Amino acid sequence: MSRRAVDALFQALYLLTDIRFILRETAPVHELDDEQKVRAGKAIEKLKKQVTILEEELS
Amino acid sequence: MKCTADIDTRDVEELYINIDPIQAGGRLTVDAQKAAIAYSDGYSVCDNCRKPFRLDYIDKPPIADFHRDCAEWLNMDAVRLVPGARRGFQAVVSSIVERGDPALVTALSHYTEFASLEQVGADIHEIPVDDHHHITADNAAARIEDVTRETGKTPSILFVEHVDYQYGNIHEVAGIAKVAHQYDIPVLLNGAYSVGIMPVDGKALGVDFVIASGHKSMAAPAPSGLVATTDEYADIVFRTTQVKGDITGRTFGIKEVEMMGCTLMGVTAVGLIASFPEVKDRVLHWDREVENSNRVVDALCAIEGTRVESDMPRAHTLTRINTLDSFDTVAKTHKKKGFFLSQSLKKKGIIGVIPGSTRVWKFNTYGLTDAQIVLVCEAFQEIARENGLNVS
Repeated sequence: MSRRAVDALFQALYLLTDIRFILRETAPVHELDDEQKVRAGKAIEKLKKQVTILEEELS
Repeated sequence: MKCTADIDTRDVEELYINIDPIQAGGRLTVDAQKAAIAYSDGYSVCDNCRKPFRLDYIDKPPIADFHRDCAEWLNMDAVRLVPGARRGFQAVVSSIVERGDPALVTALSHYTEFASLEQVGADIHEIPVDDHHHITADNAAARIEDVTRETGKTPSILFVEHVDYQYGNIHEVAGIAKVAHQYDIPVLLNGAYSVGIMPVDGKALGVDFVIASGHKSMAAPAPSGLVATTDEYADIVFRTTQVKGDITGRTFGIKEVEMMGCTLMGVTAVGLIASFPEVKDRVLHWDREVENSNRVVDALCAIEGTRVESDMPRAHTLTRINTLDSFDTVAKTHKKKGFFLSQSLKKKGIIGVIPGSTRVWKFNTYGLTDAQIVLVCEAFQEIARENGLNVS
């Protein structure tokens, strides 16, 4: 059992959901304001860390 | 993009502004989307179900807490989750209306209100609207008198829409409930277009039942909704089973007859509950939503020949608009006929107007951001100008 991989998986899905909502609230042009850009950037950075954990655990 | 081999990904909320009249209040919150990911399996909320084995007793996820909090939020005494408002109508009617009983709905009632009464063989009568498409206490009183005289019985129930689906008008519920109670008629509030998007206080309205739709106005997956009632009716509508198997002698604990045991056992329940904190907060900002609704209506009314059939100024985000003398005149000669409007809107990133509609149609601005409201206003006026309509 890899608890770490499972946690990373869900955390990644939740971060993707945060990004999904930025796309929703900025539809249809997806021009992000400064606050949204910061939020998106943070989510993507965190997402990369979770993907790295998945790579470590599963490959 | 495909979701599976045969199912498309639904990405319209990410790609477009959706002003569909019935979908706006049911879009999930970010928390509900996350909960839906984690609780997507069938019996997902049942992992920690312990004796007495009933949905509203489950502590983890916090379904029991939700039932208490939601009743308090609505200022009612008891709440149960149901698979959609229609199942709420059905539970109440099945409990208190008998075959042949007269029952009152309104000229703006949803078909499922009629169907719930038809199922039990009720004698259904409508309360008419006034000249402004309103259900009034005066009309309710007159209809109660008429029906009682004609049938020899007082109606067993009176349904009233808090906000109707045709005009998005807010009705005189407190006055109607007061009149109905003078005849001892219980009142059911159809809150499908109010509970979850605007403040609702069941006791202040004086109603006996509040029915809500999760997927219409509580940012929840479908089918979901709830029934709220008072202590007076809770033991009737939420009565527990008394049946016993004649061979096996089995009995079924505290399962509730009208709920058919447990109701929402997975993503529907957890989605609704996950959205609840944001829903409680968003109803406090209803004035902002109404302001946005009026901004779009004003932009539409600036197009020559356009008029609003709903109350003005708008007091709700669902609006019925008449464009017979504006967009429909364009449709008469446009190569795409009535489809030009929805297609033009889609090109500008807006969906939700029924394709082909250019006469009388509805839209809902609930939940749009300020930037999206501006874009919708500009889009309607640009389409008007592009097609030779005057915009003031």
